[in-house]
Amino acid sequence: MSVIAPKFRLGYLIKGVIDNIFWIILLVTLIGIPIVQIVLIYIDFPIIDGEIWNPFRVLDALTHPERALPLVVSFMQSDLFKVVAFPGFGFAALIAAATIFIERKMLAKLQLRVGPFYCGKVEGILQLMADGLKLISKEIIIPAKADKPIFWAAPVLFAATAGAFVALIPVAPGWVVADIDLGLLAVFAVIGFFPIITILSAWSSNSKFPFIGGIRALHQMVSFEIPLILSVLGIVMLTGTLNLAEIVQSQANFPWIIFMPVGAVVFFITILAELERIPFDLPEAESEIVAGWLTEFSGMMYGLVQLGTYLKLYAFAGLFVVLFLGGWNGPDIVPPFPAEIVTDGITILPGALTVEIPGLPLLAHEMINGTIWFMLKTIGVILVILLPRGVFPRIRIDMLLHIGWYKLIALSFVNIFIALALVYGGVIGPGGIL
Amino acid sequence: MVGETVAGYSNVLFMFGFAVVALAPALIISRMIAPRTKSNPVKFLPMECGQVPSGEGRTHFMMQYYAYILMFVIFDVMAIFLYAWGSTLLDLPKTATLPIIGFLGIMFAAMAYALYQTKRKNIW
Repeated sequence: MSVIAPKFRLGYLIKGVIDNIFWIILLVTLIGIPIVQIVLIYIDFPIIDGEIWNPFRVLDALTHPERALPLVVSFMQSDLFKVVAFPGFGFAALIAAATIFIERKMLAKLQLRVGPFYCGKVEGILQLMADGLKLISKEIIIPAKADKPIFWAAPVLFAATAGAFVALIPVAPGWVVADIDLGLLAVFAVIGFFPIITILSAWSSNSKFPFIGGIRALHQMVSFEIPLILSVLGIVMLTGTLNLAEIVQSQANFPWIIFMPVGAVVFFITILAELERIPFDLPEAESEIVAGWLTEFSGMMYGLVQLGTYLKLYAFAGLFVVLFLGGWNGPDIVPPFPAEIVTDGITILPGALTVEIPGLPLLAHEMINGTIWFMLKTIGVILVILLPRGVFPRIRIDMLLHIGWYKLIALSFVNIFIALALVYGGVIGPGGIL
Repeated sequence: MVGETVAGYSNVLFMFGFAVVALAPALIISRMIAPRTKSNPVKFLPMECGQVPSGEGRTHFMMQYYAYILMFVIFDVMAIFLYAWGSTLLDLPKTATLPIIGFLGIMFAAMAYALYQTKRKNIW
């Protein structure tokens, strides 16, 4: 039952509305319009068909789909769109959110539980939104004597570094945020930041459980970085490039996992360790050290770290697909567009309704197929990464370091020698069979 | 040329910056709308499962696996050195592989000695 407040008067309401309108007009005039003008001076307008667009033409184009289309196309090829939406942050965050939900449901099914069920009509599909609301409305408690600036910055830095990692993963031909010649080395450089952020946040919280968890995380990430780097060396030797997009192009006929299963297995195990997932989740071992280096994070800080973890998971799964499973390569799923669409536009209801929009296919045919194949493979790899959590126990830290330093490094050298044998045996490379 | 190379890397930084700009408001909004109950001495104590914590949180801690960190500092650089050879392998003559095999031999010997030392826990 809602009742009108006893002190309600129409005059007050009108006064409030007029007040608000006055302030909005004042602020827009004094701040908004100058900002728009400054932006218009410094922004780069798109050059389409050899002429520079001005603000008037942009506004004019927005009124008609036919004229707006070149603008949309040029926007979709800009760096801003790539960073914000498609191969960049928005896309990855969406996949990360979906991964969290799928992991909870899958884990529940594996353990004969129900999992999230009540929020949302269908199988608790809104549970994630509810969790987000809960996290954002919870109080953030910072332990006494914590190093506040570092403690506040750590979750944001963690998630943003995961975002920088995502930027290096090519999704479809030409669709990558940062197409770098030394892409693989850039990936290793970005991965190297995670232990630093982890140990900083653990040290800054001035608490014992995070400290122990942080040291464990440091040992684990650091130990598995060397097998991670060495297990990919075989592919670099056979392709002769460090650019991730070129590595994908080299797999047009066969994925590298056929020739380097050893490297793929080593790489997958190191992924599990770098992601701190079971059976390598010592840094977050909840039955020993509460939540490891996440112990003192509360509310939205924990949420950000969680988002960063799953962004990282997507990026590692994408990297596995790019390196070993052939990336976007695969048979056509969507057939090529008929040539009339490109030149004449689409005719809906022949005779009755004709929409002629030249240059309609916003996305190239290769891009759609490539994205579908990349997503199918990435989702498969993500599911395989999630699976051990319901199956395996946790291992001891000395066993972990033993695996990393003795077995995985030896296996990755085996992989390097397989690659050498392929090159000098005349199978792959200049003058090779394949 | 140099500018183009750097421009590729700037997109990584652009992504990093956008993630910071997009995620920091989550903390700020949370700080604005979340309740802030009154402080009491127990509330801001570090988590120690109900015990009142004694001593500093940042202590000298005997991890016993420090040798692995020292090994990482050396062998990480060596692994990256191998990339300089590996990425140009197809252009190199076959004789260029022999020095690398020698390098790998030295690396393995050093690693074996270091791994032997890590087992002697009493010296760490």
